[in-house]
Amino acid sequence: MLDANIRKILMEVRDQAASEGIQATLALHHEKSHLMRIGNSSISLNTSEDLTRLDIEVTDGRKQASQTFLGMIEETETIRNVLDKAVEKAKAAAPKTYDPIPDEVEESVYEEIQYDEALANLDPGVKADAYREIFSKLGDNFNYSGSWSSGSVEVCMITTANRNEVYHRGTDQLFTVVLKHPGKKWELINTQTGWRASDFSVEKTLKELGRLIPVYEKNPGFKVEPGEYTVIFGSDAVSEIANLSVFTGFMGRGWEEKQSWTSQNKPGDEVLGKNITLSDDPFNPQTFMFGFDMSGRKRKHFPLIENGVLMNLMYDSSTAARYGREPTGHDTRSMGIVMNTGDGFECPLEAVRDMGRVLYIPALHYMNLPSRSKGIFTGSSRFNALLIEDGKMVSPIFSTRITDSFQNVLGNVSVISSVSESVNGSNTYGRRMPVAISVPSYIVAEGVKITDSADSF
Amino acid sequence: MTDSAAVKKEISKNISRISLDGAGYVDARFYQDDSSETILLYDGDLEANDTTVESGIGVRVLWGGAWGFAATSDLSSLRSCFDKALLNAKTASELVKVPLFMGDRDPITGSYSSPVAVDPFTVSLEDKLGFLTRLDADLVDDFILKRIVYANFQKKKIHFQNSDGSEINKDLVNVFGMMMVMSLDSDGEMQRRSMSLYSTGDGTSGWKMITEPVLFAEHSSRIKSELKGLIKADTLEYGRKSVILLPGQGHLQVHETIGHPLELDRILGYELSYAGGSFVNLDSFGKLRYGSDKLFASSYGGILNSPGSFGYDDDGTPERDYLLIDRGILVNALTSRAMVNEANEKAKREVFSQSGGVARATSFYRAPIDRMTNVNILPGDDGSLEDIISSTEDGIVVDNPVSWSIGSNREHFHFGCEIAWEVKNGEKTRILRNPTYQGHTLEFYNSLSAVGDKSTWRVELVDNCGKGEPNQVMQIGHGVPVVKFDDVIIGERK
Ligand SMILES: [Zn+2]
Repeated sequence: MLDANIRKILMEVRDQAASEGIQATLALHHEKSHLMRIGNSSISLNTSEDLTRLDIEVTDGRKQASQTFLGMIEETETIRNVLDKAVEKAKAAAPKTYDPIPDEVEESVYEEIQYDEALANLDPGVKADAYREIFSKLGDNFNYSGSWSSGSVEVCMITTANRNEVYHRGTDQLFTVVLKHPGKKWELINTQTGWRASDFSVEKTLKELGRLIPVYEKNPGFKVEPGEYTVIFGSDAVSEIANLSVFTGFMGRGWEEKQSWTSQNKPGDEVLGKNITLSDDPFNPQTFMFGFDMSGRKRKHFPLIENGVLMNLMYDSSTAARYGREPTGHDTRSMGIVMNTGDGFECPLEAVRDMGRVLYIPALHYMNLPSRSKGIFTGSSRFNALLIEDGKMVSPIFSTRITDSFQNVLGNVSVISSVSESVNGSNTYGRRMPVAISVPSYIVAEGVKITDSADSF
Repeated sequence: MTDSAAVKKEISKNISRISLDGAGYVDARFYQDDSSETILLYDGDLEANDTTVESGIGVRVLWGGAWGFAATSDLSSLRSCFDKALLNAKTASELVKVPLFMGDRDPITGSYSSPVAVDPFTVSLEDKLGFLTRLDADLVDDFILKRIVYANFQKKKIHFQNSDGSEINKDLVNVFGMMMVMSLDSDGEMQRRSMSLYSTGDGTSGWKMITEPVLFAEHSSRIKSELKGLIKADTLEYGRKSVILLPGQGHLQVHETIGHPLELDRILGYELSYAGGSFVNLDSFGKLRYGSDKLFASSYGGILNSPGSFGYDDDGTPERDYLLIDRGILVNALTSRAMVNEANEKAKREVFSQSGGVARATSFYRAPIDRMTNVNILPGDDGSLEDIISSTEDGIVVDNPVSWSIGSNREHFHFGCEIAWEVKNGEKTRILRNPTYQGHTLEFYNSLSAVGDKSTWRVELVDNCGKGEPNQVMQIGHGVPVVKFDDVIIGERK
């Protein structure tokens, strides 16, 4: 845990800075991360990091600078040095053409509602045992890979505006196992997420993969010819599409700068199908809940799309300052995006029983945006993808590319699952900062454009 | 403990201790300084003025054929960091089907410094802003809606030691620069044209590089005039034509469909749960026709000033120049010590004679993995860009990526670019907007029909290659000439 002494000396430096008339934001980020990686049915890497970062941002009139330090932070002097460097850089900066909005912690917050001691201190041996059990129960004739990241994050932030302090402590994990057939080359995946050690169970993985293995074992790959298809998108794919549509459609910055697929619309316009509702909800327990953002604002339930209608755009404080808007609590790396569920059957196969031939694409690999302004995305199927006929799993499908738009895919959804799932969207580039999105466990979209396919998985 | 000589002595002691304990291999990377400075002007406003400074040590221990890794900034607890790495390796060794081994090596003592005439960290912020603000002013024009000018300076001072007895010191400096102009086209869609700092392959990589007009600043007027044409242009129609890639696009094509599929850890299946695998297997080497006779691809390429040039990799192997693809035939991969040993053992023959020196970690708190270095296409004998255009009947020339999406085994791809020029009967005619092209890797490289000469070759710098778990961003370079491919699917089906 962040040493109480470090938080005390951070406050001391804040007090010094405030008394000297410096305008600054000081934040500590402490992570204890563990990751076990699996390759060729072996543990290929077992790694732990214990790192503390200090971020200081200084505003000097219209001039700003930031300094991040990752090293030994034990003394007032270290923090003071980082502050002095930021002050010096801010002095030498070029002034902006607008007035920055100062950071200010609205009210002190102490949150650790999603902290689990058992996960924070999870013995790597537990992970090794779980993988061993999965390998032995699913069989030696596959090649297994995967990773299991777990750890804790603490964030503590203060500003020179007042002595309020926000503090957050949480745990998170993302478990992945990939099973590859050595001869036929197909790959199946199972992931689990959560903030408690007990959110993971070997049985869930065995059940999920056990359901798919026979279909993959018994049937050859199916090549999908380009054209329009009815597609069941599984929760991973739904989260990828929803997330990208949010980041390219509902951020104030992209909208103001006419780079977003909603730039020709305004709040109140219908931009997606009537059955689509999306929000940023810091209180949804299927996301990693952060009650404040890094400008010190309290985060609140924030409607983005209601029944297809654009409700609000998200403004971080620098975009708000630049375009004369109010910040909306979105100076954050961990939003809680939620897509509402519908009334579809729990099982996607039942939902498409009368639809004839449909594709089941549970995840999209390597999504990108050939045209952000038009909302066009592209990505390909990879794991667990199936051809379904009359609600029955028929065969696995080869790597298949979808190139379509958010408006078309989220404008032609005929079924939305009544069950929600948490999909972990965290990456481990740089600092640990967990992100999860809550989405329906599947959606069925009509007229989805398949633009290419391979002869292999 | 802040005295670096004392830290190094302590590292030696701990490496000996863990080796004597029975570890198969031990190394430590001590980052005395890892600094990065980012400056971003958005419509002239200084939107990013950020510096990050990191320091610490990363320790890797191989025990019973499995890796354990631990990292800390706390140099007073070096011993416990080594112990943690050892403990992690011991836990990992309980589940090993394919044991990893590094092999014996003679110790190497060496050092490498990026060729730098002026260290960018000695240049004042005022001078940096002066240069970038002048560049931004050059981008101003009535029709331009948005301007971006970006620079990033990196410096790493790394001390490496391993249980071979090797000791290597590296002082690495990287510089990246980018400028972009944007405007709305007739459909209200934002179009952009950009230019990134590139290298000619020699010269320095410090401040002098970014301020060298031909490598960066002097392209401002060109991208403006190209954008002016682009916003009035027609959309590229769907079809099959020749595609001529300028290096601004060609380097990413090479990166995604030669570089990544030839990283040996991907081939051996160590990236399956994240980045993906490769359509290449161990039987492919020496046999697989990857491309036409015109295709020669190399690793490193003896390029002096590129982020993919670093002297020694993080296994302690000197970086070396070798061919990956020779006259269209796949001959080698991007390799590191443990991966070479595993591949040869698995194939029951010597597929690779030695490590290619590509093991690299992005920071002290990440463990090395196989990363492409400079993966290059060698210049050919089909003349200049003009020569290649004049020999093209029906095609397009494309530049700079907007979007890239590649199949998980790198077997197929889809790219979107900033701009295309139509080529008809040997003449460059009109500009076309929203160009995309797609293909299947082997079919595509086998349609390579022209490779430009040295006058068309340049080293493009990449600062954002992502791979590995925990995730790592890496900096590399690609030396590429102008290249032409025939019968490629372009545009999107209606
Ligand atoms: Zn890459």
